[in-house]
Amino acid sequence: MTHLLLTVFSATFFVTVIRTATPLLFATLGGLIADLSGALNVALEGMMLVGALTAVIVSVYTPWYVAVLAGIGVGAVLGAVMAFFHLKLKADIVLVGFAINILASGGTVYALSLATHGDKGTSISLVSKAVPAVDLGFLGAIPGIGPTLTAFLSGHSLLSWVALIMVFAIWFFLYRTPRGLWLRAVGEYPAAPEAAGIPVGKVRMWSLIASGGLAGLAGVQLAMFNFVGFTRDMTAGRGFIALGAVLLGARHPVGAMWAALLFGVFDALSVVMPNLFNWIPPELIQMIPFVVTVLALLLFSYRTLRARQVTTLSGD
Amino acid sequence: MSGAPSPWAEARGEIVRAVGALVVALAVAFVIIMFTSKAPLEAFATLLRSPLTSQRTIGYWIDDSAKLTMTGLALSLVFQARQFSLGVQGQVLLGGLCSGVVALSPVGYTWAAIPLGILAAMAAGAAYGFIPGYAKAKLGANEIVSSLMLNYIALDLTTWLIRDKLAPPGKGLLFTNPFPKIAVFPALVAHTRIDLGVILAVIAVIATWFALYRTSWGLKLRLVGHNPRFAEYAGIRANFIMVSAMTVSGAIAGLLGAMFVQGQVYGKLATNFENGLAFEGILVAIVARNRPLAIPFVALGYGYLRQGANLMNIRTDVPNEVIAVVQAIIILLVASTFALPVRKWLMRLRPEARRAAEAAERVGP
Repeated sequence: MTHLLLTVFSATFFVTVIRTATPLLFATLGGLIADLSGALNVALEGMMLVGALTAVIVSVYTPWYVAVLAGIGVGAVLGAVMAFFHLKLKADIVLVGFAINILASGGTVYALSLATHGDKGTSISLVSKAVPAVDLGFLGAIPGIGPTLTAFLSGHSLLSWVALIMVFAIWFFLYRTPRGLWLRAVGEYPAAPEAAGIPVGKVRMWSLIASGGLAGLAGVQLAMFNFVGFTRDMTAGRGFIALGAVLLGARHPVGAMWAALLFGVFDALSVVMPNLFNWIPPELIQMIPFVVTVLALLLFSYRTLRARQVTTLSGD
Repeated sequence: MSGAPSPWAEARGEIVRAVGALVVALAVAFVIIMFTSKAPLEAFATLLRSPLTSQRTIGYWIDDSAKLTMTGLALSLVFQARQFSLGVQGQVLLGGLCSGVVALSPVGYTWAAIPLGILAAMAAGAAYGFIPGYAKAKLGANEIVSSLMLNYIALDLTTWLIRDKLAPPGKGLLFTNPFPKIAVFPALVAHTRIDLGVILAVIAVIATWFALYRTSWGLKLRLVGHNPRFAEYAGIRANFIMVSAMTVSGAIAGLLGAMFVQGQVYGKLATNFENGLAFEGILVAIVARNRPLAIPFVALGYGYLRQGANLMNIRTDVPNEVIAVVQAIIILLVASTFALPVRKWLMRLRPEARRAAEAAERVGP
């Protein structure tokens, strides 16, 4: 047990948490934007997968930043496809989302097998690039706390810093700009913004596109930093966990960040625990994030229910 | 569109729509195969023809269709109640696990192995289907998220139990010893995969149809799905209907688990035995418009494509994952209301066609 505590309160563990939380945070923010505009994006999982594979294949031939942009772009395109079928052709959003997930899980394996000439498991034969880590070694010069600062803040993926900025950018957009108000209004009660002349369909379309782009970016971090390369079904349910994290984070960007960090902690635990407790079956450790999501979902739903009951009571 | 259209006209419309979606999807698949295969025509011919090549491949097809029917039924029940509970995978895995435990226990050597195995599987599936339903009814917990998480939990749980507890120890095997012969569904046609499961699937179809269209429970369920507000005014306890729909759907999925492990294909417990089939039920249920009696036909059609793709994967250089593209396009097109634009295009085309025909007539003689 002391071993576990020592590990958990170390700087390396913190770095692992940030690493595992970053893709989840991007995906959660993507889920949040779609959810706030009133369109549940169940395709986060598939968009992450496609973003990851695209980034890996593009990074073989181009600099890393082009690969990052390609991953975002392909996620956004999938978001646009979703918007087209949902908004123009009136298909149910959950079905469209699942169609995209099916397309992604099969399509990525198909494309992987073509790109690697027959390998359906991993992209190990492709030399793909990584997103650079940000070196803050100069902080070590600060007397006293310098070395600690370096240990905790240095060495994170560039995208982790982008994710942090994104949380505040999205918060600012949603709560401090007119367009953000449009988006929230469309999700809350579409009839009102419609009457006010706000193009409801367009707002939802752009939300889904942004949501797809963020999910693509989540895939990029997964395949260009957490693990350099692509493996079949490497998202392993993170896109669905992100849907739970949106709810757990009380549908707010800062809440989304805390929720993603919480899942990051459990994800990181499942990374370090096999080394510490080799008597626990690996399957049970892998199960932890999913069990936590279910419990968090139940807890969150209970709290919302109670809050609603309290407001109705005081309203009477 | 005056008066109620006859059910046959409606069915014909749905069939035209499904076939249209299939043709578009196959055309896209053909283009992809053209670009990626060295022998595209041969690959495409294998996709379309191979399931009928031998008695063995026909057996694969019928067996796969029976299983697709079950997952389609399970999903159509929850879809009819407008619940997007997608926990079929977890229910299948747990159902299979429980039926496998029965078959491996001393009971497995008696005649009770099959009926008890089926009952255990259905009970486990029902219990696992009940959880997201109850959580939604009591707490309003989103059933999509909870049921998907339960899938992953069931997958990890069954993998651990089979690998660590049920498989012969010390060899690192991912499957158990074969069940006693009496615990395995008897084959209906010798040396094929066609077994008792096909009969169970037919019974399940009829039972689901009866429950949905000939009982008051089914009427209430469909009302809750079609018009929740009306159902509420009519005094229907929507929560009870929702939870019971998810539970019954879980029982059907659990039975599918028993069909997997106690069927001719396995006859033992193996990790991840359902191999992604559970989610294929989404396509089956959507194309069948959640009608139980239409589901076996859709399952036969789609099972044919799946087996064609598998054989194409083995016999040619095209990976079977190309079927995912077909599947996604069919779901997208069938779920969309694309019938209206098509009619509009036809209207737009018709005068031109007429004019062209008239012009040809004028030039002709």
